[in-house]
Amino acid sequence: MPALTPEIVPGLVAGGASCRMDAEIAPRFKVGDRVTARIVNPMSHTRLPRYIRGKTGTVARDHGVFALPDSSVCGVHSDPQHVYSVRFEADHLWGEHANANSSLYIDLFDVYIDPA
Amino acid sequence: MTIANEGSSIMADDHTHNEPPSDTAMRVKALETLLTEKGLLDPAAIDALVETYETRIGPRNGARVVARAWTDPDYRQRLLEDGTKAIAELGFSGVQGEDMVVVENTGDVHNMVVCTLCSCYPWPTLGLPPIWFKSAPYRARAVIDPRGVLKEFGVELSEDVELRVWDSNAELRYLVLPQRPAGTEGMSEDELAELVSRDSMIGTALADAPAG
Amino acid sequence: MNGIHDMGGMQCMGPIEREENEPAFHETWEGRVFGMFFTNFAEGHFNVDMFRHGIERMGPAEYLETSYYEHWLHSFETLLVERGVLAEGELEEKIASLREAGG
Repeated sequence: MPALTPEIVPGLVAGGASCRMDAEIAPRFKVGDRVTARIVNPMSHTRLPRYIRGKTGTVARDHGVFALPDSSVCGVHSDPQHVYSVRFEADHLWGEHANANSSLYIDLFDVYIDPA
Repeated sequence: MTIANEGSSIMADDHTHNEPPSDTAMRVKALETLLTEKGLLDPAAIDALVETYETRIGPRNGARVVARAWTDPDYRQRLLEDGTKAIAELGFSGVQGEDMVVVENTGDVHNMVVCTLCSCYPWPTLGLPPIWFKSAPYRARAVIDPRGVLKEFGVELSEDVELRVWDSNAELRYLVLPQRPAGTEGMSEDELAELVSRDSMIGTALADAPAG
Repeated sequence: MNGIHDMGGMQCMGPIEREENEPAFHETWEGRVFGMFFTNFAEGHFNVDMFRHGIERMGPAEYLETSYYEHWLHSFETLLVERGVLAEGELEEKIASLREAGG
């Protein structure tokens, strides 16, 4: 018997499946902290794109605690940790070819960053 | 063999119904058939999902949120503080909108959203993403040359306005709250919602000016 | 992984092509693939990260030449075979038998 029947569809669509995890974990960083994205090249799944690795930005927001995709890819939501919105200046990311007066915000898991 | 023999559910409104199905359509049909035979898929559930995303979930939902924020300062405040909760007040929540962040365009700041790694997009408020949002050129260029992208979309943004690009790479989904156009004082929430295009909530357009 | 999917900052990808009044699905099969994400997820065959990684593991040329929902289909096939839900070659056999039966 299939798990998903038409009767379940509305509830599933409206409820979703958040990757937020209910775990009491102290944040390592606070808004305003300068952080540098780690230089890593994992062979598996990660949500840390290449253009951010090694770059330094400023924590703009703490989104709370989520499962780490790099671990969840093994099958179970795991390694709960804070996710921070981090702001990077465009000229830091792209050098002399950057757009003027532009910035980039990206959500970085705690293990993706170190204190700058 | 429920669905294979009723294969019409897959092929019925293909333009090529007198032609053999394309390789991809056939592959999909074969996969759906196999999973159905194994008791792992109910084709009626897929019918229900398709119907839901074709008719009930789309950018008109997001436009309701924006119009409410334009007319109700308290709602706007709640929306910017906790997007998920404020959007759920209007009945929009669920898959790919579980954790929402709303970013506000002002005279000083313009926001634009991309997902460089795949095509993450806030389904409950905007529906399924358009092809351009999922395309390589947009995903590649939105972060390195967002002003160029905006220009291609017909938006000339002054360099005095700070451009913030949001790469929605994690599980947060972003909705842009566009600026309320001038000359809309006195318009009702319903009338205002008509001015809110999908692209204005991605940040690749501005809200439409009122007619006349 | 440093795959083709990690596109931020790449150049010379061409213009961004837009379509007026785009439908949710352009072909009927796209809607079936879309729905199969939910049915497969509900069966416990994969979570969203496994699904994304299934797309990331596509060959770069194939990734660039195929559409969004073809990426999804590719990931389903990879994951369902890896998890033993489908046997190697089972899908090809089913395609052949459907073709024989007249599509």
